[in-house]
Amino acid sequence: MKYVFFILVCIISSNLYADQKIDSKVIEISKNLRCLVCQGQSINDSDSDFALDVKELIKKNLKEGKKDEEIYNYLKLKYGDWILYKTPINVSTIFIWMLPIIFILIGLRFIVKRIRFE
Amino acid sequence: MNNIIGNSLVLLSLMTSLSTSFLFFKKNYSHYLKTYIASCIFCFFSFIFLIYCFVISDFYVSAVYQNSHTTKPLIYKIAGSWGNHEGSMLLFICIIALYGFAFCYFSKNFDNKFKYLTVFFQNNLTMIFLIYLFFLSNPFDYVSSDPTQGLGLNPILQDPLLLIHPPFLYFGYIGFSLILSLVLSGLINNSFDSVWAKLSKKWVIISWIFLTIGILLGSIWAYYELGWGGYWFWDPVENASLMPWILSVALIHSLLIMERSNTFKSWTALLAISTFALSLFGTFLVRSGILNSVHTFANDPERGLFILGIIILIIFFSLAIYIFKSDFVEKKNNIMFLSKENFLVFNNLFLILFLIIVIIGTVYPIVLSAVANQNISVGPFYYNTILAPFVFIFLFLMGTGPLMKWYKNDFNAKKNLIISIGLISCILALIISYFSSETNIIYILGLIFSFYLIVATIFELFSSKNQFNFKQYLSKNLSHLGFGLLILSITLNSFFSKEYNFMINVNDKYVSDDLEITFEEFNISKDINFDQFSTIFKIKTNDKSFTLSPSIRKYNQPEQLTSEISIKNTLLKDFYLAINYSSIGNKRLIGARYYENFFILGIWISSLIIVLGGLSRLFIRK
Repeated sequence: MKYVFFILVCIISSNLYADQKIDSKVIEISKNLRCLVCQGQSINDSDSDFALDVKELIKKNLKEGKKDEEIYNYLKLKYGDWILYKTPINVSTIFIWMLPIIFILIGLRFIVKRIRFE
Repeated sequence: MNNIIGNSLVLLSLMTSLSTSFLFFKKNYSHYLKTYIASCIFCFFSFIFLIYCFVISDFYVSAVYQNSHTTKPLIYKIAGSWGNHEGSMLLFICIIALYGFAFCYFSKNFDNKFKYLTVFFQNNLTMIFLIYLFFLSNPFDYVSSDPTQGLGLNPILQDPLLLIHPPFLYFGYIGFSLILSLVLSGLINNSFDSVWAKLSKKWVIISWIFLTIGILLGSIWAYYELGWGGYWFWDPVENASLMPWILSVALIHSLLIMERSNTFKSWTALLAISTFALSLFGTFLVRSGILNSVHTFANDPERGLFILGIIILIIFFSLAIYIFKSDFVEKKNNIMFLSKENFLVFNNLFLILFLIIVIIGTVYPIVLSAVANQNISVGPFYYNTILAPFVFIFLFLMGTGPLMKWYKNDFNAKKNLIISIGLISCILALIISYFSSETNIIYILGLIFSFYLIVATIFELFSSKNQFNFKQYLSKNLSHLGFGLLILSITLNSFFSKEYNFMINVNDKYVSDDLEITFEEFNISKDINFDQFSTIFKIKTNDKSFTLSPSIRKYNQPEQLTSEISIKNTLLKDFYLAINYSSIGNKRLIGARYYENFFILGIWISSLIIVLGGLSRLFIRK
């Protein structure tokens, strides 16, 4: 009962202040996070308890004036890279960012070798 | 009893299929095709019989027991027959046979040796999968526990779109089995040339049409059923269907070169083999359960391994034949820079690039977690970021290529035309961006390049010199136009769609900007196979007000909650509302998601135009 009351207060207060900027920011961030208890859903798309908790956490952090990056980093530390749908660029992911570019360069080189210009 | 009939039918098709191969090796062709057709017919009958078992709810049949229930509407009983692993495998085999059957029917005046070889390969595919089905994944297994009731079908699959989505995908995937057979027999028969390209292109286009419709249906289903407001999630299973699609588009274009100039053969053969390999790989990904995806409702890891074995076997044999028989003498340096051919080569380069992006995005996380025990996620952010710039260049090439001439460098003669099309598209993009007051650079580039393709294609459509010319390029123009419109709609959609998440109690209001949503009333009702909690919301936006009535269903067999969304479609945008029970004890507090999705209709229609392009190639005679 206490819990329900607490949530209701949160909702009413959030409606009162209706900070829409924060709301849309929460959506933006939670779209880039994986719901860890679901099958291939983002936090934003999920209605699981886990997702609701994370959304609430993001909202709280945003209200405290934290930056996006700080929130991502916090969640990454807590849950690992698995939670980030927004794949970071680092040693283990540089491959997926570079490979397409390397491929197109090799491909172009290959084609240029085989075509006639005159 | 029905188990025995079903098993006998499967066994009969396996036996006749074995005899077909036997007759081929014995070079006894007098009854060869008849035996093959008999085996096809037994396949059809076994699948029809499985449907019959579902209709009469014979729970002694394992597939029926595990996936059906007496309270289910008839239509979903029927759909249950392919809504599970065993049944869908039987459908899979049935479609391989169907393509072989159709090939026999439409190839009456082909060279006999070529025809027999093609049938031989097609028959072997049927056989391998029949063996797998009979021994490892038999839908007609006997349920010994005296069942009086089945376990039911996943409610999220109880949707009319999902009735036809898997069969369409299968018709697409498996169509490429025939292409594989055609390639292999063409290679062995030494008749892999432009005539071959001409006859095979039709089959490629047929499979491509099915695959496109299948993917589109899946996308529409996700939009209406999942309740997340989106139509594409870069989910591994969606990617698995996109991979063969991309390759089949590349194949269609490389067949154009082969048909025209009898070159590019080695590459085309490789593409064709890979397309079927990727189709199988897609099936494997979906069935194996190694994916973390919304689609993992039909999986079983052990069988996945067997399918993997079959795939490796098929790829191994195909590549062996390819390596030994594809020593074509092709003239080097024969392609002129900026000729139509070279643009087709560019098309292939970019499509392979897209394929690689989708593959590494899908597979790399799996590999990384297996090799380095490190879990990363690859999501829409990766695909959108890395695809966007390449798609823009691709759109430009796609609009420019068809203006060029075969063999000759015709760029200078068309320079002014290209510049004027470019100018028109820039102006159109600027006008739209001015009125939409959005200046994001990706948005503007997306507009410019998709308009470039659209304008160039419309120009081509209306500048054709005569009716022959018009008909000749109609299918290409329609498909290209559809693609341009698709990218345009996707661009507009991704920049304008809005989303609101909120919790609401009955009689409460949610207000944001010029939006006002009121939860007016709710209602609880009972249906045969579910209980329903339905609601009425009143939506007021700046210019109009209307009601939406989303609901939540609690299915009883198996017990599961689903959210039924409510949509008001307009030409420009969809108003989309989905609700769910929030985790809070109070029942009347409802979590709601409200979306304003722009140009969804545009996305569906442009995809249909792409399909229409393929259809017009089949039905309009040049």
